[in-house]
Amino acid sequence: MDWAAVLGAGALIPLLNAGIRLAMPTGLAAVGEALCQRAGVLNLSLEGILLSGALGSFLGAYYSGQAWIGVIAGVGLGVAVAALMALLSVTFKTEQVINGIVIVLLAGGATSLAYEKLFGVTTTPPRFDTLPSLKIPLLGSIPGVGAVLFDQNALVYISILAVGAVWWVLYRTRFGLSVRAVGERPDAADAAGVNVDRIRWCALLVSGVMGGLGGAVLIVAQLGLFRDNITAGRGWVAIALVIFGRWSPLRVMGGALLFGITDALQLRIQAAGGGVETGVPFELFQALPYIVTIAVVVAATAWARDDAQPKSLGFPYEKEAGTRED
Amino acid sequence: MTAPAPPPAVRSRRWKDRIGSPVNVVGAAAVALVLGAGVIAVAGGNPITAYADIVTGTFGSRSTITLMLGEVTPLLLIGLGLAIAFQGRVWNIGAEGQYLVGAVVGGAFAILSPVQASVVLIPAALLVGTAAGAAWGWIVGKFQAVWGVNEVISSLLLNYVAIFGVAYLVRQPLRDPDYYLPQSKLIPSAARLPDLPFLDVHAGLLIGLIFVPVVIYAMGRTPFGFKVRVLGMNRDAARAAGIDTNRLIVKVMMISGGFAGLAGIAQVLGVESRLNNNLDAGYGFTAIITALLGRMRPLGIVLSSVFIATITVGGDIVQRSQQVPRAAVFVLQALFVIVLLVADKLARR
Amino acid sequence: MSRITKRFGGLAAVDEVDFDLRKGEIHALLGENGAGKTTLMNVLSGLIQPGSGTMEVEGRPARFRSPQDAIDRGIGMVHQHFKLVSRLTVAENIILGQTGGRRLRLPDLHEVGRRVEALGERYGLEVPPGAFVWQLSVGEQQRAEILRALYRKARVLILDEPTATLTAGEVDRLLEGIRVMARQGASIIIISHNLDEIMSAADRVTVLRRGKQVATLDRDETDQAELARLMVGRDVSLVEVLTSAGERREEGGEPGDADRRVVLEVEDLVMSGESVSPAGGGARELRGVNLTVHAGEIVSIAGVEGNGQAQFEEALMGLRTPDSGAVRFSGDDMTGARPRRVLERGVGYIPSDRYRHGLVRELSVAENLVLDRIDRPPFGSPLRLRSKAITARGAELIDRFSIAVRSAAERAGTLSGGNAQRAVLARAMSEELRLCLAAQPTRGLDVGAIEFVWQQLREQRRKGVAVLLISTDLDEVMALSDRCYVMYRGRLTETPLDRDRIGLAMGGVAAESGAGVR
Repeated sequence: MDWAAVLGAGALIPLLNAGIRLAMPTGLAAVGEALCQRAGVLNLSLEGILLSGALGSFLGAYYSGQAWIGVIAGVGLGVAVAALMALLSVTFKTEQVINGIVIVLLAGGATSLAYEKLFGVTTTPPRFDTLPSLKIPLLGSIPGVGAVLFDQNALVYISILAVGAVWWVLYRTRFGLSVRAVGERPDAADAAGVNVDRIRWCALLVSGVMGGLGGAVLIVAQLGLFRDNITAGRGWVAIALVIFGRWSPLRVMGGALLFGITDALQLRIQAAGGGVETGVPFELFQALPYIVTIAVVVAATAWARDDAQPKSLGFPYEKEAGTRED
Repeated sequence: MTAPAPPPAVRSRRWKDRIGSPVNVVGAAAVALVLGAGVIAVAGGNPITAYADIVTGTFGSRSTITLMLGEVTPLLLIGLGLAIAFQGRVWNIGAEGQYLVGAVVGGAFAILSPVQASVVLIPAALLVGTAAGAAWGWIVGKFQAVWGVNEVISSLLLNYVAIFGVAYLVRQPLRDPDYYLPQSKLIPSAARLPDLPFLDVHAGLLIGLIFVPVVIYAMGRTPFGFKVRVLGMNRDAARAAGIDTNRLIVKVMMISGGFAGLAGIAQVLGVESRLNNNLDAGYGFTAIITALLGRMRPLGIVLSSVFIATITVGGDIVQRSQQVPRAAVFVLQALFVIVLLVADKLARR
Repeated sequence: MSRITKRFGGLAAVDEVDFDLRKGEIHALLGENGAGKTTLMNVLSGLIQPGSGTMEVEGRPARFRSPQDAIDRGIGMVHQHFKLVSRLTVAENIILGQTGGRRLRLPDLHEVGRRVEALGERYGLEVPPGAFVWQLSVGEQQRAEILRALYRKARVLILDEPTATLTAGEVDRLLEGIRVMARQGASIIIISHNLDEIMSAADRVTVLRRGKQVATLDRDETDQAELARLMVGRDVSLVEVLTSAGERREEGGEPGDADRRVVLEVEDLVMSGESVSPAGGGARELRGVNLTVHAGEIVSIAGVEGNGQAQFEEALMGLRTPDSGAVRFSGDDMTGARPRRVLERGVGYIPSDRYRHGLVRELSVAENLVLDRIDRPPFGSPLRLRSKAITARGAELIDRFSIAVRSAAERAGTLSGGNAQRAVLARAMSEELRLCLAAQPTRGLDVGAIEFVWQQLREQRRKGVAVLLISTDLDEVMALSDRCYVMYRGRLTETPLDRDRIGLAMGGVAAESGAGVR
């Protein structure tokens, strides 16, 4: 294997460039999930949101021929799935873990059903061209940085803006303050006049927007096709990244970037090695992202000195039970 | 389960609490059927004839009943293990991986074993498969116990590791060199599970049914089952009362993984002829639905696994007769659980 | 407020109560625990909705669907257990949930801070607005809550048990602040069962008993004895138990000198852990705790809540593992031992949170009573639970500890607070003990139940058990203890049994030079 082609200085810029691109679907979903968990809702339906977003964006972009219609459709479906999660978890207050798992299974079935109904079972799935790179004038010409950051497709720029927006919402708006309060002490927020359930609903919808957008980025900007379970566990990886990033949107996104770069690296090693001929089985590389995720979560939970997890994560807020004297 | 009344101290919960009021169940079923009809209609089928096809198609002939019971076997076995875990609020969603590991390790043992006498080989292979599934579950339990790693995440991600692990094993070490596709040699005939008398269903079903009373007894009448239930009710109180919750979680994960592994090896010895990449049939996830629909109770899971198996087999029939894609079945299953969750919650208000 | 009724289940927590508040007055709401004071005020502050009855605020009818409605009408409540988010700053807590001004963006926090500081100066209730709530002392947190109400232009301020966890100096400062507010036209309701405080601060007093309004009196027309009688509904002897219980300490007799074995020894216990500091850094929760308890004595740990008592409790029971230091039972090292081993060494545990660490609501009372020995004979062998033995033990303990419950098969969740605590005691004391760890054993209980718990603890002492009592209630500490320690910021200081000395130590005076704020 030619290691220089994989790790050499010349390979670094394309590697980082690809890493950023590959990080986006998972990163967007993870950042949305971080906000949602800060509001105290463990949204395990994330894989279902991503998958629905992926299907929605595929259908939108395929039928209209317009990438942006695909993005809107993807976000729309993601939000719809998140709304179902909110209905169960916030309105009916059923067990959040179960809600999430069942919704993932539902979304898996529903997306397969819809796709098969529309396109039948074919060996050559319908495709469309993914988004071209959109080099930003001036910034794109900065040596190194320009090629890494500003020579990306349009959705990468939008994704970066979306991540920034979530950070801004969480730390700079009234809504974000309420989110942070509701995830810690919903009773205190309630007493201060915050409508706990409404905040949690909204947080889930934000998670739906981000997850739906993540699915859309995956399809419209990267793959250009759809098949069953195309998200391949990215939603679960995203939830793991939230733990790794200690519930802070920027750290979560940082984790996603590291993850994307690792992903780009393993793809490159596979390509350079040609798979079968190397001593290392290619299945190991395929399993690597999941193994790394598990390792990273173990490390993050084992070494965490601070207890960053929102105190009421996973617990529905039942009003009168908490206010009874004695 | 009604007479004679069990001693009140252990069985304080009334029948109604356990099963839910009949009106509730009927109401939930009605809503679920209507929603399901909607799904079938959207998918291009005729709901009424589709429902009729599912029932008559599945129970109409000996061969389809056999198919249905074949589907029941893995769902029942995995479901029983998940019921134990879920009652302790240990959310094992890695049954898929535990099933695969049990299937492949047990299957490899059957192929490679020097002893090829059925009396020894079958029980030994079943044990090896069960142990392999338990070991896969042990990882999750240990991570949870030692570092507090969320079991949902770790068990789910380990599914992918198992899938790729199996792919490697059947492509390289276990591969039958005579074939182009990656698959193992034939499972030796001495290792095949015998069929049950009068049925074309392998003995795995019997194993599952034998475990039903065992699990009922273990969960209701032993200190172990009691502690698992307390684990699910109030983990802090369990700890303060001296129950070693960490060890209990590891045990629960091993038992739950063991059941999934047993389901996997039983499927290999009873149904499959070779180990290959198609072992991954989604039973681990469908069993989650089964366990939830069966309200995490063994008898409930017997009923729900028959129900799920019926709509699975019926779904294939409807796919042929009405061109409704098979995926519609997964949508129906999930919808039923959602309706049940909401109905339970509303009934408790 | 007139004819307010609120039921929880079948029980009327507040039953047809009338209440009126005048402008500029300080009105005390007096009653035992469970008398309905807090429930009534939760109705007034919009946290819960009344079953029936009407309210008027400043002459106009009011119907609050949420705390926001009440806030909009100028009613602010300072809860006994502060409703502050510890991971947010004071200023952030103050603007949390507030409407008006910029719709989307947060108001300028520096500007908010300046206004908070100005308000604080005006009433002598200064709090650093930029500090995180977890950095504040209890007194400062309370001031932050009051400032929040004032910041939102509250004209009616409800204070729920405002002095229960304050040091003497903080109480004076608070009462002075309240008087200033009243002079400037605010109306104030103080919920309390402390008669001294009420006589010194209130203009009028309303007494509640078991959800019913007993009387509303001018302070000048009544005295402590009358109020006490009204509050308890019997003669005042029981109240003496609560207010001047120190003298009753001798009742159990001095422990025999021969039996002064050291049962529990804690040496330099340090535990850092889940700090809520966003920057991490692991604030030390226990910073070198030293303690000795002998057989046949009751040793108390007094102190304001949140100074490490809960962590100490968990470290002793093996629920959390300390970083360094040692715990020894009768000379054997038990540092970091699992709870099971601790219990098996003859430790009876009465946890401070009786529903979190004590009872399992979904299980029957009988099952709860054997929860810690369910897998040992006669209650269970590895393959079998012995329901008969469980039921029999349940019935026996229910009888011995007078737990009011229909049958042993009833769910523990249906027990009232007092009976739930009797059940916890019954389990802890059903076997021979060497050490009894009782954390906040009478919190939230009524007088009858308190007396029962005290009796049981004294009984253990008489039997030669070492009793370690963790309590925030000074009356309790004074009534029961042979010796006393005060916990302040993760350290213990042995303190003479003297109310004032203990009070000073609770404020950190003896523990650290200068009781200043970090």
